[in-house]
Parts: sequence; C-alpha cells; structure tokens
Amino acid sequence: MSDPATLSLAAAAQALRARHVSSRELAEACLARISRWQPRINAFISVEQQPADEGVPLAHKDMFYRKGRVSNCGSKIRRGWIAQETSTALSRLDAAAMPQIGTLNMAEFAYGPTGRNEHWGDCRNPWNPDYIAGGSSSGSGAAVAARLAFGALGSDTGGSVRIPAAACGVTGLKTTWGRVSRHGAMPLSHSLDTIGPLARSAEDCALILAAIAGFDPQDPLSSREPAGNYSLAKRKFRVALSSDWIERHAEPEVAAAALAAARDLGATLVEVEPPEFDTLSAHCITVMQAEASAQHARWMRERPGDYSSAVRSRLESGFAVPAAAYLEVLRLRAAWLERFCTATLANADLYLLPAMKVRVPTLEQTGPRGGAGMPALLAEVTRLTRWVNYLGVPALVVPCGFDSLGLPIGLQLVGRPFAEAALLAAGHAFQCETDWHCRAPAERSI
Amino acid sequence: MTAAKQWSSEAIEAVLAAQGIPLAPGRAEKIATALNAATVSGTLCLELESDPSGYARALERCKAK
Repeated sequence: MSDPATLSLAAAAQALRARHVSSRELAEACLARISRWQPRINAFISVEQQPADEGVPLAHKDMFYRKGRVSNCGSKIRRGWIAQETSTALSRLDAAAMPQIGTLNMAEFAYGPTGRNEHWGDCRNPWNPDYIAGGSSSGSGAAVAARLAFGALGSDTGGSVRIPAAACGVTGLKTTWGRVSRHGAMPLSHSLDTIGPLARSAEDCALILAAIAGFDPQDPLSSREPAGNYSLAKRKFRVALSSDWIERHAEPEVAAAALAAARDLGATLVEVEPPEFDTLSAHCITVMQAEASAQHARWMRERPGDYSSAVRSRLESGFAVPAAAYLEVLRLRAAWLERFCTATLANADLYLLPAMKVRVPTLEQTGPRGGAGMPALLAEVTRLTRWVNYLGVPALVVPCGFDSLGLPIGLQLVGRPFAEAALLAAGHAFQCETDWHCRAPAERSI
Repeated sequence: MTAAKQWSSEAIEAVLAAQGIPLAPGRAEKIATALNAATVSGTLCLELESDPSGYARALERCKAK
C-alpha cells in the first residue's frame, strides 16, 4: 500500500477490518506526514508520538477536554490548563475506535474566523501558507486537508467548522443546535455553539457524526431526537437557491463554482428569494457577543491584557449589548426559523449557497497590516455562515472548485433542523459525481 | 418603527466602567458606531406571549420529516 494516510476514513476503516493495514501503520503514516507538514502550516498543538489505542486516528481542536490532559483553547489564559473530565464527544469517538493522535490549533477561545493566533502562532493554509486556513477550527481544516489525520472535530458558533472546511478544501458539517453533546467542550456562546466533524468526504463526516450524535444526560440541552444512521442512500432532492443573489454578491469565481456545483448535484433546482442574511447575521452577533462576554467576564475584569487585542475588542463589545436587545433577538429566533423552513424551504429539502462570498484571503489581509478594509473583509468571510447559527439549523460544506490562485472554494448546503442525513446524502451524491474532495495539497510545495 | 439609536463613546465608557471592564484605548467610539448601526427586530413582529423558550418548540415543529 502507498501512503495509508492518504486513504479516506471510510477506506482506512475498511482496510483495518480486512487486516490490510494495522492501527500502528495508520498512526505512523500520520505521524510521518505531521513531521513534514507541521513546520509549514502549524496545524498541531500536541502530538501523541506513540498512540496506543486501536483504530483510525483523528485529531481535534484544542478545546475538547480529556481528563488529565492539557486543553489550551488557543489562549494564553488557559495555557497548560489540565482538564478534570473527558468530553462526551471524545469518549464516544474512543468507543468507536477513532483514537486521538493530537490536538489542533485554533483561534483564541474559538473567537475569530481566520485561524490567526498570536499566542500559538498562525495556522496556515496547506494549499498556500500565505493564506488563512479559516477559523476558528483552523487546525482541523488544515490537518485534514494535508492528510495528517483522517478527520477532526471542530466547533461552529458563527461558521467555525464551515469556514476552515471551505478555505482548506475539505468537507465540514455544522450540526443542528443540540445534535451533539457539548459536555466537556469549551463554551463560547451556549445558544449558538455546535460541534461537528471535518473530514475528507461526506461519507467520512457521516461516520464521525454517527459516533458522536445523540442525547447526553451530561448536556441537558442536547436533543432527544433519535440520531440517524446517516446511510447516504441515494435519493432525489429539491434544492433551493438564489442564483441572482449569488451572481450579484459573490466574487465571480466563487459564484461560478457554486452555480456549476448546483448543476452537478443532480437535484431539482428551485429559485427562491434569499433569506435575510444580514439581519440574521446581526442577530447572531448580538447573541454571540452577549453570551461570550458573560462567559469571559471574570478574566476580562482581572486580566484583559492576556487576550489578543482582536479577541479583547470582540469581548468588550459584548458588554455594551443591552440585556433587552439580547433577549429580544432570542425571542425572535423561533419566528425566523419558521420563516426559513416555511418560505425558503417551502418547496425544497435544502438551500444552496457559497460557504464564503469571497475567495480565501491572505493572512496579511486579515491581520493588523490589512489596513482600513480589514474589518469589512472579515465581515464578508462570515456573512454567509452566521445566519445559519442564529437559526440553529445544520449545514454541510463541500469543496466545489478552486480559484485562479489555486485556493479552494466551498459550497454550502443548509437543511431543516436535524436534516443531517439529507445533507450528508446530498454531499455524498455530489462527491460521487465530482473529484474536488479527492484533491490534496502537494507535498512538493512543502 | 423605533427611533434611531444614540450610543456615544462616553455612554459606552460608562456602561463598561459600571461593569468593571477596562476598555482598551480608542475602542469606545468603534463600539458605539457598531451598536448604532445594528438592527434588532428586522421585519418580524411578535406576540406579547413570545419568549426564548419558543425556539425549542420551533426546532421540533420545523424538523425534517
């Protein structure tokens, strides 16, 4: 067998069952690649040099707690913090023979969309290290894209699974709010936080989701809705989209790739008015800022200088959100969800749009030297993801092309609550007809 | 329709100071600008009886069949 690390998770699990490869060989193949890629992309925070457990190795954002192990949460404040319990998601993956080979870089406290991190070093895009990996699950996107792990967990509060998935050219699933237990995962905004997989295909995401989904008594907000079997069975889909909006608002290369992908889905396409992205995004920001600032209030009073200036700024804003405005937005949430499901999805199963309306930006464009246009660019990066978190519905991002500079473009499919099975089946059908998800950044560029 | 919001940098400084939050230099004006630009209710109206717990019921009503 050539490099077993280049297999998909599904293929590696199959090879393991057939005894064509051993757990040790899979882990060693990943470790060899990590040693070659890490200096270039800085995706890992820690690596298990001698993984003992059997199975197909995954790596996870450094915010999923494991008893007795360090979770730094991408921060200076929690540097070296040792967890007292293991997260439910990690426990379930352990039980499903998907052991952890390391922890992954992330935005500080998962509060940033680029993967820049002044405490742990920026995570870089494996397709071109001058570009962002996307955040906040930056290491998860970069490690999966470079074939350093067979899959990864991320968290998504405003796009933090989908943006790195799109920027790095991998498949990422933002789950329905409550679908996956958040017990033992670092909180950012409890009304919005979700946990989901990043992997090389929809099929691989389905395997990870099947292991982690379902009610958990340790997270009373987790849903009792039965977890699906995510069988990926082929079926006919009706997919809504707003072609005019995409053509008018997305960068031309992004629009062309998304609309071409819509045609390749093999679905019946239904043109609809777009959801009110900007209003819903503003509501998401109100909730996120208020809840994140409450979460960090003690440290913001006692040691504000230990945050990066970018994260400190975001947290400061939350203390100025009026309580009545926060609660009004939460009161409106049910009505907006019903409008999406009864209007946008009136005659369709899924809604299609780009993951990001802009091409992947450079690290320089999104940092202190990005100039006056930097805040607006960051807003564009998250413009098509945050509205989904406010509604709490699931969304899948699959790679659907590359721009003229060789950076990936992501397609986003959004479903009704608990429609993960439909999203994964639609993504799998698309990936059966295309090979964007099979492309990996070349090692020769290391 | 509600009246335009009138957050000032002085008001922001006072609100954060009252909560014991030290504000980085130059931030108050940016926060005030952002708050004044933010919309709250959009195009939806709600009944008096609506509260945030309605969201859990909406998730159930709207789920995929």
